[in-house]
Amino acid sequence: MTRLARIIWLLLLSSGSLAVGASAQVDITVTRTVIQRIPIAVVGLRPSGVSGGGDLAAQALSVLVDDLEFSTVFEVLPPSFLPFDAREVRLGEEEKVLASLNHLKVQAMVVAELTQQGKDLTLEGRVYNVSRGVFLGGKRYFGEVTAIRSMVHRLADEVVLRLTGERGVASTRIAYANAEKGATELYLMDYDGHNPTIVTGNRSINLSPRFSPDAKLLAYTSYRDGNPDLYLLNLETGRRDKVSALPGLNISPGWSPTGQWLALSLSKDGGTNLYLMRPTGGGLRRLTNGLAISVSPSFSPNERQIVFTSDRGGSPQIYMMDLEGTNLQRLTFEGEYNASARWSPRGDKIAFASNRGGGGFQIYLMNPNGTGVQQITTVGVNEDPAWSPDGRHLVFTSNRSGKKDIHVMHADGSGQKRLTRSGFNSFAPDWSP
Amino acid sequence: MVRGREAREQRWSGGRFWGPILVVGAALLLTGCPKKPEVGAGGPGAAGGPGAEQVAPARPITEAPVQPEARPTGEGPLKDVFFDFDKAVLRDDARKSLNDNIQWLKGNPAARTMVEGHADERGTNEYNLALGERRARAVRDYLVAGGIDAKRISTISYGEERPFVLGHDESAWKWNRRGHFVIQK
Repeated sequence: MTRLARIIWLLLLSSGSLAVGASAQVDITVTRTVIQRIPIAVVGLRPSGVSGGGDLAAQALSVLVDDLEFSTVFEVLPPSFLPFDAREVRLGEEEKVLASLNHLKVQAMVVAELTQQGKDLTLEGRVYNVSRGVFLGGKRYFGEVTAIRSMVHRLADEVVLRLTGERGVASTRIAYANAEKGATELYLMDYDGHNPTIVTGNRSINLSPRFSPDAKLLAYTSYRDGNPDLYLLNLETGRRDKVSALPGLNISPGWSPTGQWLALSLSKDGGTNLYLMRPTGGGLRRLTNGLAISVSPSFSPNERQIVFTSDRGGSPQIYMMDLEGTNLQRLTFEGEYNASARWSPRGDKIAFASNRGGGGFQIYLMNPNGTGVQQITTVGVNEDPAWSPDGRHLVFTSNRSGKKDIHVMHADGSGQKRLTRSGFNSFAPDWSP
Repeated sequence: MVRGREAREQRWSGGRFWGPILVVGAALLLTGCPKKPEVGAGGPGAAGGPGAEQVAPARPITEAPVQPEARPTGEGPLKDVFFDFDKAVLRDDARKSLNDNIQWLKGNPAARTMVEGHADERGTNEYNLALGERRARAVRDYLVAGGIDAKRISTISYGEERPFVLGHDESAWKWNRRGHFVIQK
């Protein structure tokens, strides 16, 4: 069995089809769009035995494997493919298995160990380059038992960093709106949908959460004082500041990548126009004019341009302009409704929602000049795309579960997964830096 | 869906004794199944496949006109107005309602009103806030043009956030694209 499994693994690696255990359909998607995942072995995390009855190490292992797989950077070697018991590998003895992993063409290894003392946990992880037999780095994390998922997420991000030079996103969070009975409240949850936590709780309407580039502030619109005003919530201190409360709409915030500007839509002068303001308040600068609607601004990573939704041409379409409001350019022409443009953190793509296929919104990608449009969702109605900070994933709203829920996917549309299960409509997600 | 299919497959291989019980079980599973459309579940053996009729006659779809529990016009003396999709243009029926509202406001010069602009669920939340704002202003402007002091009319947009009728088709949407009047105390 194990020998056969090893042969299958090698065949899968050599054929370039790396979606082990997935259906043939998923295989095709993955091999077409993912260039190369790094085969990695996750070893250690010995069963912790008695305390509390639960196997914390197994939980840690499951979170770690999920994180590494979701990163799209790695293909985790199934433990049954190994010629030794992966979980019994102890810290300090991991170098003994490098040779057999190398034989299996595994390129990377993470070994981890979890120790518990009462309520306190220690998680240690070490990362190896298997083919060169080199130790790349290690970290030890201390926390309470309840923080186990966060500790493992931190380790997973470290593994991605050690092997790609770029930190993973497992420790990031997602903000979203949840339409409960009689109120729409904002929530934060872990990037994998765990630990949803309410951050408004004013029993009013709260919308459009947007993380500042340092992830410390959350901009959003709230009706808590009657009018749709713009607020900044400090996620570290809990302090809330009302930063724009002009007559009419104060909505649809968009942070500039440096955090020195906040774009927003105001209706104080007729029409609903885009403005720039300083996040501290003041410095208001008008970008669009007239009676048309201009909403949902998203900055280019170099902070030189803004994409947004406007109906100035008769229907909602996506436009681009520079920070002076000049050089206006229409990017979408197909379909009656193109909206919710989000510039990828890498700058190479713009995600947006369009009804061009008929039957409601789907999510598409295009180049920043409007060319190369590519549809990446098909099941249900899908909207509100928002990028992960590394540009490898998108979070979005889908009604495929029968109501609106937050889902995630990889940037090529593969790996779609539902995150929210509140029983209410969840929508308008934003992914923290 | 999947559980219903398994039950039915067992029935073909099951003996005489279990047959009827499994039929009932399958029927229960089928009717208890949520109405989620699952892509890829339409193959042979899925609900609607061979033998589906005898196992569980599809419950006939019943249809009834949707009437809002309380028509917006019933909430106060001022009539609500309704809009076409992605439009803030006042239709003839809206103008008729607003003409009546103008008469009422002229007869009640102390009354002040808030006009709420609403949108249906299609389109983005942010765009719909702006659309609701535009609708509320179109209503206000008509009243002002009809001789009502602008100081007596305030506006607010709720976009698609406070639908009047819950539903995912035009029978609900047409009530949700509205200008709603609330008398201010």
